[in-house]
Amino acid sequence: MPSSAEQTILARVTAIIPESELNSWEQEELVECLAPLSGHQQELILHQIAVIWPVSHSLCLAFLEAAEPALACLDPEQFAAWVRAILHCYEAQGLQEARRFMADLESHFICTLKGQSGLLLSTIKKRLDLYLRGVAGRPFVLAEATLPGTDTATIFLPRNCTFFDEDDANFLVYKLIASLQWAFVRVNLYCQEVPNEQELFRKMTQPGSGPKDEAVFLNRFFKLFARPDRAMAIYHFLQTFSALCFLQKKLPGLMADSTVYFQSVAAEGAATMEPQSLLAGEYGFLLEQLSHNRPLELPPGPWRRLCHPASWDDSGQILLDTARIYALWEEKPDQEVASPPWFQGTLQVEAAHARRLARRQEVEQQFIEALAIRILPALARKKEAALAPGATPADTPQQADSAADLSLRLPTPQNEPEETGPDHNQVVRHIRLDDEKIGLDSKLQELGREIMDDLGHLPQLYLDSAEKMAAGRSYAPHIQTAGPEGEPLLGTSLYDEWDFRRQGFRHNWCRLLEKEIQPCGGTFIATALKEQRGVIKQLKRQFEQMRSHHRFVGRQRDGDDIDLDALTEAVADQRAGLPPSERLFVRQLRDQRDIAALFLVDISSSTEGWVGKAIKEALLVMAEAMESLGDRYAIYGFSGMRRTRSEVFRVKEMDEPYTETVQGRIAALSPKEYTRMGPPIRHFSKMLATVEARVRLLIILTDGKPEDYDDYKGEYAIEDTRHALVETKNSGIHPFCITLDTKAPEYISHLFGAANYLVIDDVKKLPRRLPDMYRLLTS
Amino acid sequence: MQGKRIEEHFIDVEPYYRVQGQELTIALAAHQHTIPLLLKGPTGSGKSRFMQYLAWKLRRPLITVSCHDDLSTSDLVGRYLIRGGETVWLDGPLTLAVRHGGICYLDEIVEARKDTTVVIHPLADDRRELPIEKKGEILSAPPEFMLALSYNPGYQSVVKDLKPSTRQRFIALELTYPSPDIEAEIVQHEAGVSRQEADKLVRLAEMTRCLEDAGLQEGASTRLLIHAGTLIKSGIPPRQACKVTISEPLSDDHELVAAIDEMISSLY
Repeated sequence: MPSSAEQTILARVTAIIPESELNSWEQEELVECLAPLSGHQQELILHQIAVIWPVSHSLCLAFLEAAEPALACLDPEQFAAWVRAILHCYEAQGLQEARRFMADLESHFICTLKGQSGLLLSTIKKRLDLYLRGVAGRPFVLAEATLPGTDTATIFLPRNCTFFDEDDANFLVYKLIASLQWAFVRVNLYCQEVPNEQELFRKMTQPGSGPKDEAVFLNRFFKLFARPDRAMAIYHFLQTFSALCFLQKKLPGLMADSTVYFQSVAAEGAATMEPQSLLAGEYGFLLEQLSHNRPLELPPGPWRRLCHPASWDDSGQILLDTARIYALWEEKPDQEVASPPWFQGTLQVEAAHARRLARRQEVEQQFIEALAIRILPALARKKEAALAPGATPADTPQQADSAADLSLRLPTPQNEPEETGPDHNQVVRHIRLDDEKIGLDSKLQELGREIMDDLGHLPQLYLDSAEKMAAGRSYAPHIQTAGPEGEPLLGTSLYDEWDFRRQGFRHNWCRLLEKEIQPCGGTFIATALKEQRGVIKQLKRQFEQMRSHHRFVGRQRDGDDIDLDALTEAVADQRAGLPPSERLFVRQLRDQRDIAALFLVDISSSTEGWVGKAIKEALLVMAEAMESLGDRYAIYGFSGMRRTRSEVFRVKEMDEPYTETVQGRIAALSPKEYTRMGPPIRHFSKMLATVEARVRLLIILTDGKPEDYDDYKGEYAIEDTRHALVETKNSGIHPFCITLDTKAPEYISHLFGAANYLVIDDVKKLPRRLPDMYRLLTS
Repeated sequence: MQGKRIEEHFIDVEPYYRVQGQELTIALAAHQHTIPLLLKGPTGSGKSRFMQYLAWKLRRPLITVSCHDDLSTSDLVGRYLIRGGETVWLDGPLTLAVRHGGICYLDEIVEARKDTTVVIHPLADDRRELPIEKKGEILSAPPEFMLALSYNPGYQSVVKDLKPSTRQRFIALELTYPSPDIEAEIVQHEAGVSRQEADKLVRLAEMTRCLEDAGLQEGASTRLLIHAGTLIKSGIPPRQACKVTISEPLSDDHELVAAIDEMISSLY
């Protein structure tokens, strides 16, 4: 029998969490955790339970266990911040990470509070990313890892940097290790492929050959040796030397700035490294030179004698040099290899290999697709020619066959007398389809180049695949990837969502897909235009008057024409002996309407019926009227289900001309799923922010409150939508809402602000009211 | 512009211009065959300098008009002025150039309103005449007259595009940033810095140009590099010189400026 105190707690808990969501076991656990706490602590925790419970039940129970010790060292405000951090962690990395985060309060949270976490990668990621993109000339992905490293596409950096006390100095460390990883990529750290592996291995002083089953070249190389780890350490040292030389040459300022850092690394190394261990002296020598920003040299003695950095451009040489040093070490079988300085990072041979394969596949796919599109017209032409009615019946089957057998070939010395075959350094500029020469555009040439750099030749297989793909498509011109519902997908983006309970964002929470509507034919457009003829005509006249108008201003010093009134006065003044005015001109001024509007239409399932007719008519009438006004406008529909599939449908882009296709898309609008308003609002605010116009309008047409299939409803949904709208206003865009929900006044002014909405009680009025409202809004 | 006599528009001293490719040959041929010229290219890539050089080479006066929103047809063609109770006609820059067989260069033509640009149409095709409505006069252009336009395809918005009917009267030359070698040579010459210094500046410019996909509207132009070089030459520390001439002018975005500063400090 629970005590009365427990009864009270239970009552409080069930007030926050609906009883239906809580089984008795969970109830007990909650009460058990809360009971021993003081009333104040219970209050704080219960408040946070309301925040966490809707996100995850398991997380909430885990939180309860960790909450009490946390409360001991955090004040209420910090406690709320801690919960926000937990939720971020959970949403970004899952329950396991969140548990770990909660368990280690000290290192994960308190040190941040005290400012002891040093510089976090997340704070400087954007700056570092831009820096690296400029320096490297291509984007790299920056990711967190314990040790620095790279797989040639991603650069891994530690989560925080505590090397120095000052942020600036720590940023320099980040900059240095990121630049170094880039330099590694540039000096070909992963030695991607050596043209003649067999010969190279033969040249090695070590007898025996590498294991055949090893897929990655570098690993094959390391396994040639009895102690692969030693070979790897030597190789990495040489590559580090090479990369640092490269940096000294390319980024002298960075290396000059980093001397302080290298000095501390050297001091640390001297203190911790076993002086007798292999490579300890060599790293010491390197750091000594770096600390004084002297041009780097290899350590004196055997290193200088045996290694040939000048010819490391040929990746075989650095491998041979590695083998030579390895041979030297055979005399010291018992010595350990020193652990290298931290900034050097790790070798990620397998990851780089995987990355390379992935890239190879990507390029292959892109090349095949681009080529297929390129040859499509030629192929279709040939097929048509083969099936042309002029061909005699006897010829037709044969020709059709030969059309199917068309072969795509690379130019070879045989069929291309003026050109030699594509050798290693040559760009493929065209290919042959049967007897026809088809030129490749710059993108294809670039891809072809990359393939040749990688594989040494352009496989015929790629050409065959492209041909097959083109043949399959020649009668289906839509090449874009279809979304789940068959609409071609135009792009996806991620958006944050506002959670009012925690007063913070759920980062990258919603995935928004932009899709295109396939225009449909039918009689709708013609009928609607006919029915609304009168309205359209009237609106057109009204809207035409709103167009930019010219205005003359008189009495200017300078202008297009003489101001006769002013001139007469001036002459009279002169006759009267007064000094005449010099302002005798009229100048034409023009007031331009510089307006961009985006109509965002709710096509959730609840709009069935009104999307059916009235909204489409309204959009049509609006578009007709807008054409005579000349303002720039776009039309999109939105719907979706759950946070992973918020969809927007493109009806008309901002500067797309209003054509029959657009009309067809308006006609094709149909009710879809739910109304998650946040993501589309954020998406189009972002889009509108890039549009150059004096006034930017986001006009939302809806039939009710925001609501989605998951927990996006009620206060949560309204608060997120409101926050999205606040963001919109902050970026200089005016949101406006037209709603058909007669209950809207209860919440809509909270969302849009007092004068920024219009409630229409009768759907039929919409075609008339929408343009009216637009006219009022913009004049 | 107005009130300046045509003699003052001649360029006497050879302007520095480093020919990059066939642009000069083509422009000379265009002049010879009385075809107008359209220069495209990012800002600070040498379009105006090229026109000065061309004018010098052809020994024709160069009349440059910087176009803007409020440029009216009479600003180009001319207008009546009232002086001492009388009306006096004053030629606009375009008329001046036509009358004296000069080169009229309309810089950043897309900035002008479309109805203004239409006035050049009869001049830009084989009619080669300029109607002066207010005087009821039609001027025929002598063979030496040349019309040249420039614009920057990089940042024009859709509103500011050249009409196809305008475009299709011109020979178009694209002047992009020169190759690194040539660019360094230009910076070296114009700013008077060492080749090594010039190379570094060009490398920095290339880095900033890589940010064009990442939110920067345009990378550093050759002109900015010359400014930077000039400051460095005059003794201002390179990091500071680059900051004030390159990172700050390029953007107001805090992160972008910071990133460019980091590039500068990596190089110097």
